[in-house]
Amino acid sequence: MDSLLDQSSLFLQQLVNGITLGGVYALIAVGYTMVYGVIQLINFAHGEIYMLGAFLAYTMVTLLGLPFFAAFILTILICACFGVILDVIAYRPLRNAPRLAALITAIGMSIFLQNLALMIWGSQIKSYPREILPKIFYQTAWSLGEATLSWLQVFILVVTVVSMAILHLIIHRTRIGTAMRAVSLDKTTSALMGIKVNRVISFTFAIGSAMGGMAGILVGLYYNAIFPTMGYIAGIKAFAAAVLGGIGSVPGAMLGGGVLGIAEVIGAGYLSSEYRDGISYAVMIAVILFKPSGLIGRQIGEKA
Amino acid sequence: MKRTALFMLVASVFLSGVAWADSTIKIPVAAAFTGQLASFGEGIKNAAILRGEEINADGGINGKKVQIVLEDELCDPKEAATVATKLANDPEVSIVIGHLCSSASLAALPIYRDAKLPAISPASTNVNIGKMSPFYFRNVYKDDFQGLFLARYAKLARGFDTVAVFYEVNDYSMGLMTAFMKEAKKLGIKVLGTEAYTSDTTDFKPQLTKFKMMKPDAIFIPGYAPQGTLIMSQARALGMKNVAFFGADGLDDDLMLKNPDAEGLFVTTPFLPDKAGPQAAGFIAAYKKKYGKEPNWFAANAYDGVGLAAQAIATVGEDRVKIRDYLASLNSKKKAYKGVAGNTYFDANGDCLKDAFVKEIRNGRWVSAEKQLQ
Repeated sequence: MDSLLDQSSLFLQQLVNGITLGGVYALIAVGYTMVYGVIQLINFAHGEIYMLGAFLAYTMVTLLGLPFFAAFILTILICACFGVILDVIAYRPLRNAPRLAALITAIGMSIFLQNLALMIWGSQIKSYPREILPKIFYQTAWSLGEATLSWLQVFILVVTVVSMAILHLIIHRTRIGTAMRAVSLDKTTSALMGIKVNRVISFTFAIGSAMGGMAGILVGLYYNAIFPTMGYIAGIKAFAAAVLGGIGSVPGAMLGGGVLGIAEVIGAGYLSSEYRDGISYAVMIAVILFKPSGLIGRQIGEKA
Repeated sequence: MKRTALFMLVASVFLSGVAWADSTIKIPVAAAFTGQLASFGEGIKNAAILRGEEINADGGINGKKVQIVLEDELCDPKEAATVATKLANDPEVSIVIGHLCSSASLAALPIYRDAKLPAISPASTNVNIGKMSPFYFRNVYKDDFQGLFLARYAKLARGFDTVAVFYEVNDYSMGLMTAFMKEAKKLGIKVLGTEAYTSDTTDFKPQLTKFKMMKPDAIFIPGYAPQGTLIMSQARALGMKNVAFFGADGLDDDLMLKNPDAEGLFVTTPFLPDKAGPQAAGFIAAYKKKYGKEPNWFAANAYDGVGLAAQAIATVGEDRVKIRDYLASLNSKKKAYKGVAGNTYFDANGDCLKDAFVKEIRNGRWVSAEKQLQ
């Protein structure tokens, strides 16, 4: 702990840990923020999609013996379908009901899915057997002093960045993305302009849930711990990240996730590991106090 | 599925109890049978049921059949308080076997104390428990002994000079850490740092990264197995190849065996099948026959707990206060209850002194450590 090199490699290692965690938060937060953008609903069941993603990939790899990368793609597709089904079953019938009704339904779906997972997989923490995963995940990609970056961390970061870039292109360069932005501005007018609003909403759920499921797989790998309540904490953190960045804003969710992840790890590493969650929430509260619309959220007026 | 099966079991025990209410003696067993720590509760459940069946096969207690009633509290203090209130208000209950986790015991014991209901905990090791109620007994050693023992073992048997402590924020873990640090200071073990985590943590890397820079000989984890196994894996993933890990009875779980990174881990335990005396042979054989595996220390202590409760009821009847006085009267080696996990006799607090053993993981199996301290 004495030398400057040790100190700086400690900081570097914590930063790498924080960025990895932040990337995962950002992936989940994007799902919250996109759904909020189009239908102004906090989809509390989103954390459960993330949890299902982790369990599905685990089950495919261990029980069905699929290669990891096949399971990875397949799980993302299934999670996208889950998102659409969730919307059709639970939220679409309530589209014109008071907003609180949909919110309560979201909480109900969250509890339902959590208990479903508990019944299917049990409460014990599941871990991937090491020999089943690609060996390269556990090898060091890069090291400086005592700080190391594993290929698994590289994989997580690359997946995060690439999927964020693809998302950005979808939103800004495609017809469906334009439709999404239109619906988020004004649902009624969009419908009058000939946009099939329900299809756009389904698409939003599919994309958001695919990214949530992806985050679940990555976290399951990274910490090697998969359990039915994992979606709850991650969901709350990602929700905080979305609010921190400005709910409804996709770049905001990415930034919020990154800030929250780094704040949490640096807080645990340098301040007090006992209060690590407290530190990350304190950062969120501070931002909301001084900038209620979030870091880069748009100003929301008094909409009736 | 497990939960349904357990419910059926509890329900069937309960229903059959109603049928012969007058001729049975209820012995409730309160522990975690579902949730993260369910595997701890499993040994307690198995052994209590086994002992109940054995007592009934021998004609019961004073002609009455014993009925083991399982009460699931998930090791959660809130649930434990609910269960305790229910048992305290049940006139058919004259003694409780439980609770498992120290935090659950601390939540339940004021309720038992106010209802003058005696309880024997087979597994709660937090130091403060005994002092807080004359109605709470335990047939397991305390953390001040366990922590002291671990410090001595770490220094004298393994030769560790520098240690980092990674504890969970709960009564069990923090009590253990305090005792360990006190003795470590006396023995000249340098504690390089302490870090904390909470039971819902899955990311231990920020704290482990700090430990990595300190380069300790070993990391002491005075916590539970579900987190312990993750800590070891994440430490190895961070490139901490040579550091040793050790813990207390909370890490003593078969969950560890699934983790190749846990190889070499050693823990204290109140009971080792191959170090147990001749009085344990029958129990070990019967347990293996019924459940297909060796009993762990949770099982051994629960087996003794039910046996002790049965002996108390057989001697003084089903009066709560008389049972309490009887247990308190077992206060010397001569009067000790001779169980499968050693002799149990209580001090003025209802605590007991028992031997500790060390076991370690070798080739993916729990075995007795070659070096033992006596």
